[in-house]
Formats: sequence, C-alpha cells, structure tokens
Amino acid sequence: MANIRTKFKRGDEVKFISHLDLMKVFERAIRRARLPIAYSQGFNPHPNMVFGLPLSVGVTSEAEYGDFEITDEQMSVNEFLTRLNSQLPKGLEIIAAKARKSKDNIMALIAASRYSVVVGINSPCTEKDIKTSLNKYLAQNEIIVKKRTKSGIKDTNIRDMIFDLNFEYKPCGTFSIVKFSMLVSAGSKANLKPELLIDSIFDFMKLDYEIERIHREKLFIMAQNQLLDPMDGLVL
Amino acid sequence: MSIRLSDGLLKSVEKPSRYTGNEWNSVIKDPKTVDIRFAFCFPDTYEIGMSHLGMKILYHLLNERQDCYCERVFAPWTDMEAKMRENNIPLYALETKDEIKNFDFIGFTLQYEMSFTNIVNMLDLAGVPLTTADRKDNDPFVCAGGPCAYNPEPLADIIDFFMLGEGEEIINEVMDEYVKWKGTGKSRIAFLEEIAKLEGIYVPSFYEFDYNEDGTIKSFTPIKPQYPVKIKKRIIKDMDKVYYPEKMIVPYTDIVHDRIMLEVFRGCIRGCRFCQAGFIYRPVREKSHERLMELAKKLEESTGYEEISLTSLSTSDYSQLEEFTTELLDEMKERKVGLSLPSLRLDSFSLDLMEKAQKVRKSGLTFAPEAGTQRLRDVINKGITEEDLLNAVSLAFNGGWHGVKLYFMLGLPTETNEDVEGIADLAHKVVHAYKRVPMEKKGKGLNVTVSTATFVPKAFTPFQWEAQDSIENVSQKQMLLKERIRSKQITYNYHENKLSFLEAVFARGDRRICKALIKAWELGCKFDGWGEYFKYDIWMKAFEECGVDPYFYATRKREYDEILPWDHIDIGVSKKFLINESKKAYEEKITPNCRVNCGGCGAAVFESGICGGNGIG
Repeated sequence: MANIRTKFKRGDEVKFISHLDLMKVFERAIRRARLPIAYSQGFNPHPNMVFGLPLSVGVTSEAEYGDFEITDEQMSVNEFLTRLNSQLPKGLEIIAAKARKSKDNIMALIAASRYSVVVGINSPCTEKDIKTSLNKYLAQNEIIVKKRTKSGIKDTNIRDMIFDLNFEYKPCGTFSIVKFSMLVSAGSKANLKPELLIDSIFDFMKLDYEIERIHREKLFIMAQNQLLDPMDGLVL
Repeated sequence: MSIRLSDGLLKSVEKPSRYTGNEWNSVIKDPKTVDIRFAFCFPDTYEIGMSHLGMKILYHLLNERQDCYCERVFAPWTDMEAKMRENNIPLYALETKDEIKNFDFIGFTLQYEMSFTNIVNMLDLAGVPLTTADRKDNDPFVCAGGPCAYNPEPLADIIDFFMLGEGEEIINEVMDEYVKWKGTGKSRIAFLEEIAKLEGIYVPSFYEFDYNEDGTIKSFTPIKPQYPVKIKKRIIKDMDKVYYPEKMIVPYTDIVHDRIMLEVFRGCIRGCRFCQAGFIYRPVREKSHERLMELAKKLEESTGYEEISLTSLSTSDYSQLEEFTTELLDEMKERKVGLSLPSLRLDSFSLDLMEKAQKVRKSGLTFAPEAGTQRLRDVINKGITEEDLLNAVSLAFNGGWHGVKLYFMLGLPTETNEDVEGIADLAHKVVHAYKRVPMEKKGKGLNVTVSTATFVPKAFTPFQWEAQDSIENVSQKQMLLKERIRSKQITYNYHENKLSFLEAVFARGDRRICKALIKAWELGCKFDGWGEYFKYDIWMKAFEECGVDPYFYATRKREYDEILPWDHIDIGVSKKFLINESKKAYEEKITPNCRVNCGGCGAAVFESGICGGNGIG
C-alpha cells in the first residue's frame, strides 16, 4: 500500500458542489482513470481517501488536500497526478502530489486557514474609517458571535480564533470594495468560517455590505508545535 | 447572450449545482460554429430530468451532429425562479448559460401530465410567446415528444409540432429540414409544412375540430388537403443498430437514478389493460446481449459509475436475461460495479440474481398485484395469481427479506367493495406467509406496505372509454381498506385523489382544455405533481373561468363509436383490438402475453421485433 497526498484547486466551475458530492466526483474520476485505489472492506466498499477541511459551498480554493491510498507501490506520484487530472472535471485540478509515510489523518491535524474575502460596501466610508474601526474591533477582549452548532445556536467567543487580519481598500464609484486577508482557526477543534467573521466585523462597524467572493489561499496543519504546510516533508 | 448569475444569488438557493452545469461528459461546443441551437427542456427539476433516459439519448445524439448544439434546460425550483424573476434573469441553457429565447428549437419531453403547467411557466420565463398563434418569425420553434404526446391535444395551442414515437431517427430528419429551411426567408408555416410530410410529425395548427351539441367531437379535419389525416408513430426497427450514447453526463448532485442506465428492450409483452406504456411502445424489440455488453463496458469506462441499472418495462421478460446478467456480473466484478434490477418478476432465478447483484438491501421488495381479487386481476389482464405472489414472497422471506411493498389501484373498472377488501386479505396472507418461515431464516421484523393509487384511464388502452371513479367513491374505498387492514405489520399509504382526477382530465383532454391550462398557470399553478404545490381549488377555478367541465373528461363513460381526441394518431395497435380487449375485460377473460400467443393487436405492421421482421422478440 502506498499513500499519496495531493494538493488541488477548486475553481468557480465547481465551487457550488457540496463536500459530500465532491467526494463522489473524486471517486468517479479515480474509477475512470483506472487508478489502483484501495477500497475499504465490507458490504459497501468505499475508496480509501480522506479530504482536508470541507469548504463551504460557493468558496473557491487553491489549497485543498486529499490523501489517497493505492495498492500499487510502484506507481509514481506523477503518474497518479497526471492520470487523475485527465479525468477531473473543469475547475478541479491536482497541482501537487507527494508520497507520504505518515498515517496521520489530515482532517485531525488542520489548525488554520488563510482566506481572501472580497466585500462590497454599499454605505459611504473611507479607508481610514475602516482601519480605525477594525483596530477597535480587534482590540476587544471578547468577540461574541452566534455560531450554529449541532445542538443549536450558541454564543461563541471568536477573538482567539483570529490570528491575523489585513485589508486592501478600493473606492469604486458610490461604493467601495474591500479585500480582506485573514488567517483564522480551522479544523475540528476550533473553526472560524470567513463569512461569520465578516458578518461580525460589519455588524460592529454598522455598514451595509455584501460578500462578493471567498477564496482559500492556504491551509495549515499543526505538527511539532508549529503551523506547517500540509505538503511539507516534516508531516508527510 | 450569456446571462450572469451572481454568487450571492446562487448561494441563496437550494442545491445551486442544479443551475451551474459543467458536469463530466456534458458537451462543450462553440455556439458560433453551429447552425442549430436546440434547448432540450425537461419540465421538472434537475434531479428528475437528469434521471430520464430519453434525454440522455437525444442530447448526445443531437450533439453528434456538427451543425447542432443541444443544451439542457430544467424547470428551476421555486426559490430559484423567484430569484430569476426578481433579477430579470431569463430561462437559460445549462451549457452556455445563453438565454433560450434565441435558440432555434425549444423541445419539451412530456413524461407526465402534471408537468404541463411547468411547460407554460418555462416558456414564460424564457420570454417566448406562450401560444403558437402568437409566435413570430424570429421566435424559436416549440416542439414536444414523449409518452404524453400520444394525446397531444391539451397542448395543441402551445406546441408548434409534436414528434410521435421514438425520437432517434425523426429528430435528425427534422434537423435536416431545418437546415434546408433556415436562411431561405420562407415563413414558419413553410417549415412546418415541410416537416408535416415526415412520418410521425403532427402540427396541431394544421387541423380543426368540430363538436357536437353534447360536447363530443363531430369531426377532425386538415385545413389543407395535403396534410396527413392520420399521424403514424415512429419506431426504431433494429435496437442493435439504433444510436445509444457511449457516454452519459455524470451529475455533481444526487439525482433520482444516479447510475448507468442500460436499456435492454422496448415495449412489453404483457398487455395489462390499464397500462398505456404496454400499448404505445409496441412491438417488443430487444437488444442483443452482445450489444448490451459492449455498451455496458463503454459506459462504465466513460462515466466511472459504480452501478448499472437494467431498464425496460419489465426486465424479467428479456429473453436472454440469465446469460446476459451472468456475463455482466462476471465482467464487472473486478470493477466493483453493482447491478440494480428494477421490475423483476420473482422466481428462484431472479432471487438468486438479486443476491449476486451488489447493491441489494435485504429489506425491501416491491410487487404490483394491482388488484385484490383474481376476478379483477383478470379484468385488467394482470397475468399474476395469488399463488404467484405468495410463492414469491415466501421465497423472499426464506432468503432473508423482511420488507414487502404491494402496489394496487383503486377505482378500476368493475371494481366492487369485495375487490377492495381483497387487497386487505392479500396483505394478510403475505403476513401469514412470513409466519410460516422457520425462525432461523427470518429477517428481523416484517413490514408490509400497501399502497393504492387511483386508476387513471389513459388514451390507447382498452380502458380509454372508461369513466374514472369519482373522488368521493375512491375516498370511501380508501377508508374501507384502512378499516379492513387489521395487522400492525401492515402500513397503508394512498395517493391524493384530486391529483389523479386532474391527471385524468389531461390524459384524455382535447384542445378545448388548453386555455384552462394557461389560466391555471396564470393563477399560480406549477409543479402540480409535487404535493406541496398542488392547488386543486385554483384548478377548479381555472376550469370554471374558462367554461371547461373537467368531469366531462374524467368521469364520463364514452361509447365505442365516439370520436376520441387522439383518434388521428396511429400507434399501430388497432382500435378494433382495443375494443375487443375492453369487451374481454368485462367478460373477465385474459389475453395471453405476446410470447405465448399473438393477440393480433396490429403492431405487426411495423414488421419488427417480436412481431417478425429482424431479431428475436
């Protein structure tokens, strides 16, 4: 058995596919590519593959990860990548593949994610306005938001989940466009969805806004007490 | 022109991937390189439409032509429709996102009467005039085909032309004529006159109906003498040579039948007297098992699907079923492809086959005895006995199955309370059969589900002259049955009678009801087949406002010599045969299936399939 970690892009063409449906897309692409994927035992065999943090519907990404177990030890990661790419629909593309030795589950290790979020602001404001209120926003000890959990809606403090928050400002006629770059908690322990953070910021600033697009730029895993790229040799 | 769909809009609706396209095996072409743009419209949701085999076939068939780009269009769900109307987004095709108003053809497939309001709604959303009379030279041609096209009259004002019968050949002939016509500057009518010469094309606006004082039809007349008086359905003679796609679109989101569909044959040897499909698709024509193997392999490779379903009206009747399934299972074992087997008659072979096919859930099996007593099953020519059923369920129970669904109809011709009670008796006998199975072989907990639907008389069946049972009568029968079912292991479900009533109106309607259809849509009807959207009272209001009596169509018994709204359509099966079958029903006499004995229905004119001609039946 060999283990391959892949990094892939998810473009506009496929950004509305749910996480569960995306797994089906990969499963069928693997079958078409005739890749020697290992299957789970049991009545309803499933291909052995694990994906990183599920992305919300409508979000694009250049940093998605999938781990695949194949039965052919001799197959090169390059061949795996090429064959899989030839069968993936437009908008999905494997950009890197590496062999790995570790059996750690990628899903369990994910710790942070960087997103860029483009927001249109419909009410008048300047770059300085935003900068001032953002500083005030971040200076709070506690930022409470209503978070949807399995057991209902719960008040959650998200202040410690925001590691880094920057923005670029562009005036655009009567309204303005702001591009946020945010590094936030991600994964099963603490997860901050970019939409939720944006909602909280604009709630605080009391501005009328609309999220234009969200894009995942990077995903990090926590290993050996540091944030690492999932393709980093240290974690493979 | 390509429309723009914002992220915000798509994020705000349920299942946005219904509206975005780009699926694997969908066809990408440059629209500038083609002469014909065809919008293949399915008047229901993406999930239903994408599960439909006819669309898969015709989509790829049209796209094989270099001069044609066929794209898919589905009815947007109500949330999406609201957003589209709010943002002035017209109905668009999935592949290019171009608005379909500028296409050459808008083609609807008619699978179910209760999707007719969606057709009107889709035309309106597209910005295309709703009626033939209002369409101008630069509007698309609106056409339709499919089983409901066999009685085309309820849509006569809306559809420019119908294609009757199997579409694989005729659609290409129509496209050829279109290419010849396009750019000549000749009128729309000139094109329609040209294609009206093709066998299987019906242009409703070329004909007139006259009516008697009692509302029945007096005459049907072509406006010009050269228009054909009878329109003969098209069939494909050789199923091995007919086009079948070697790839199929693999959707992103769950659809109803998310698997490879392999069509094993067309038609049905059984002549159940209520079943329209059993008559309109005659004669039975099979694919050879070699051809099926070839297609199965190609489709598995091109789709990556993990399941194949064999489709036909009654898969057990495929003459090479055993050889074929054995070979198929063997071939697909390594690829871990499962086989799904709908509509099997249960005997020891099929049970064994189901065991071997991968995706079997031991809980549920479905049987359709249709009627509760042998007398009534003989009336409808169902061709199964109580013994058959009890043997089959016993076999299944011994094999570990513990769930059985039983389908019946209420309101069948000649039905009495005794027949209704017979349904309960039969269900109790099934429970009893389970009790006799040795403990160690039993699955846990028996669950028998009895479902009843209301009988809808359909055109081109021996019951086409019958009155539909009234809503009140059927409700009483439902209550009676409910009372009679005494076992806790039996669950009883029944259908909405009011919907069946409406279905009956459209199944045998003439062109006078078209205005009521448009009126009902104006008053807010759409997605009528979806319980939550069905508005019976609004429909009644629409009929009243248009002066249409729905009971005239649904609950009136016709005489054999009455001119029926679909009499100008020729399906091969003769009216004489249908009358004879209707009489035999009252005599409680059965007609054997086509393999046992030819009943002389008339389909032999096609010189194909089981009726002779090429290939086995």
